[in-house]
Amino acid sequence: MVETVEPVVLPDIETEKQAGARSELEPGYLVICWDDPVNLMDYVTHVFQVVFGWPRKKAEFHMLQVHNQGKSVLTRQSMERAEHYVHELQSYSLHATMERDS
Amino acid sequence: MKLVRKSEDAFVFDMGKREKRLLLEVLKLYPLIPTAHHRLSKTTDAAPLADNQKLLEEALAERKQQNKRQLLAMLNEEQRLKETDAGCQPTLNPRQIEWLLQVVNDIRVGSWLVLGEPEERSGKPIGLNTENARYYAAMEFCGYFQMALLDAFEPQS
Repeated sequence: MVETVEPVVLPDIETEKQAGARSELEPGYLVICWDDPVNLMDYVTHVFQVVFGWPRKKAEFHMLQVHNQGKSVLTRQSMERAEHYVHELQSYSLHATMERDS
Repeated sequence: MKLVRKSEDAFVFDMGKREKRLLLEVLKLYPLIPTAHHRLSKTTDAAPLADNQKLLEEALAERKQQNKRQLLAMLNEEQRLKETDAGCQPTLNPRQIEWLLQVVNDIRVGSWLVLGEPEERSGKPIGLNTENARYYAAMEFCGYFQMALLDAFEPQS
């Protein structure tokens, strides 16, 4: 990911809240965003905010995870919902995939 | 390009004549990313997903066609990009900014693909030549344009 502006304050790590119990979501798929050297950091943050409705802080946390660790698990969903999110993220040309949660 | 003023549903930008010319040239490249570039999954054992890969490609192609129609409609609106002495002052609503971001980033990422996916961090520099130089310019300009659009969403001081 291309660096644009370093956030002055790193966001707190938030605990992901599952919409339901793990068993209710089976079979589960992880929606993952992968790092690439072309998408701008501010752009990735914006896309996460729009697609998931996240607050800026949470979107920046996941963007930095992508940038520093190479990927970030954005959410865990049913196959249908995961496909929807991957489609939305790819519409913005982000490198996103869904992988079965083993 | 910079934001001049904004209200809840209207963002007014100031765009110079050169910027406008560049933007119109760059937008001609859309869409640039091949639909098959995006994969639904990286894993090979996700058999059910293989069936859905084609559907994803069709959906992305449809979205791009829709964006292209909106883009052409916008460019054909005489008033929106009407030139003043200094350039023009296009007005966009938040929804239009969103699809314009998608369009511009498609060109940016597509240009990067054409350039051979260069990456400075891993020591893979851009191999510029007369054939691909315009894609380098497009990639850089799209980044600049994206930042101008994103700045519009920032709270005004």
